[in-house]
Amino acid sequence: MHVLDKGFNDILSSQIVSLAGGLVAGTLLALYTNQLLLIPAIFLILPGFLEMWGNVSGTFASRLSSGLFLGVVNPQRMHTKAVAGNLVAAFCLALVVSVVLGCVAFLFNRIVFGLSTYQLLVIPVIAGIIASVIVIPLTLIITFALFRRGHDPNNIMGPLITSLGDVVSVLALLIAFSLVIL
Amino acid sequence: MISVRRHLEKLRKVKRHHYHPLIHRIHRKHKISRKTLFYVKEYGPHSNVPRTIIKESLKILLFASILSSVGGLALEQIRVLFVSIIPLVILLPVLNGMIGGYGTIVSSRFSAMLHEGRVRGAWWKNQQLKKLFVQLFVIAVIMTLLSVGVAVSISTAARYALTIDLIGKIAFIALLDVLVLVAILFLTSITAGLYFYRKGEDPNNFLIPITTSIADFGNMIVLTVLVILVF
Repeated sequence: MHVLDKGFNDILSSQIVSLAGGLVAGTLLALYTNQLLLIPAIFLILPGFLEMWGNVSGTFASRLSSGLFLGVVNPQRMHTKAVAGNLVAAFCLALVVSVVLGCVAFLFNRIVFGLSTYQLLVIPVIAGIIASVIVIPLTLIITFALFRRGHDPNNIMGPLITSLGDVVSVLALLIAFSLVIL
Repeated sequence: MISVRRHLEKLRKVKRHHYHPLIHRIHRKHKISRKTLFYVKEYGPHSNVPRTIIKESLKILLFASILSSVGGLALEQIRVLFVSIIPLVILLPVLNGMIGGYGTIVSSRFSAMLHEGRVRGAWWKNQQLKKLFVQLFVIAVIMTLLSVGVAVSISTAARYALTIDLIGKIAFIALLDVLVLVAILFLTSITAGLYFYRKGEDPNNFLIPITTSIADFGNMIVLTVLVILVF
């Protein structure tokens, strides 16, 4: 079994990108440690919010990759119905999940910790809008670019999206937090 | 060629039904893979693409988000202890991203293998899957040690007091967390992927949300348990 092949290199290099993104996001969190203690229920919002980008943009990239490999999506044409439909779906899903995340965080905070922090309903929505405007179009562009250059987007897009999503999400949450609470 | 095109156009006009007999007829007559035909039917010009995707993905996405929030509940309980260990704060998004990334790689690679018909017979005997598993394990070890090294360096640069004992504990927590979750993700992707594929659904729409939510939920729980046990 030849383990150290092109696939291995693709995954390793994408993981290095992911590591860099995660470290930037983590350092941002560490820099704002005091705010972390101030933001109500931050650890209720953060995991779901970070994960959302893996889910929404990850499936978006994966569907595009499948379409590109099967020849159903033309790598030279982005403005097709299938691609536009995927784009709209990704935006809608991100918005709906952000709203639900806010509601869940609010409810958990109220039930478990006995705190009614209404800002929790708004923070994920604002952060979701900020992040989706950046992450979703980038996912589309990078998937097409990678495929055109002969790479398998499946190997690269997952870690790339999660790292991009991590950095953008943490920044978007901090911006939303400062807009709503400060 | 004209006959193939005519049949494909006919397929695109078909309403969404699982296992539509037309797929089997075109597959038999023109030898076009069932997976390609499935994709043509699912996302063709006569289907409402956003509605199809939202309908298939929304439930699993909501489930995944709620599951992650539940996982976050565990970490919220030890918020003060966790936030006081700066290298772990730096590592939190790194581990989330890394483990989620492995989940996405396994899911999308396995979905593509299913679509292309490369998984036949017993999956545990499949050489490509075995190779992917070994590759992910090797990469997971390298990347975890590297990320711990960088997190420790950043913390040291920020004048956070670190001892060899503390660094060892952080490395142990990170490594155990990643390796346990990679194994769980691999098994989940395969079993869930086969299940959804046999149901006639696109595994892409289900596997990534499932694996990333397991990655996040599992990461929070395993991390919380390990922090409580080790510190």
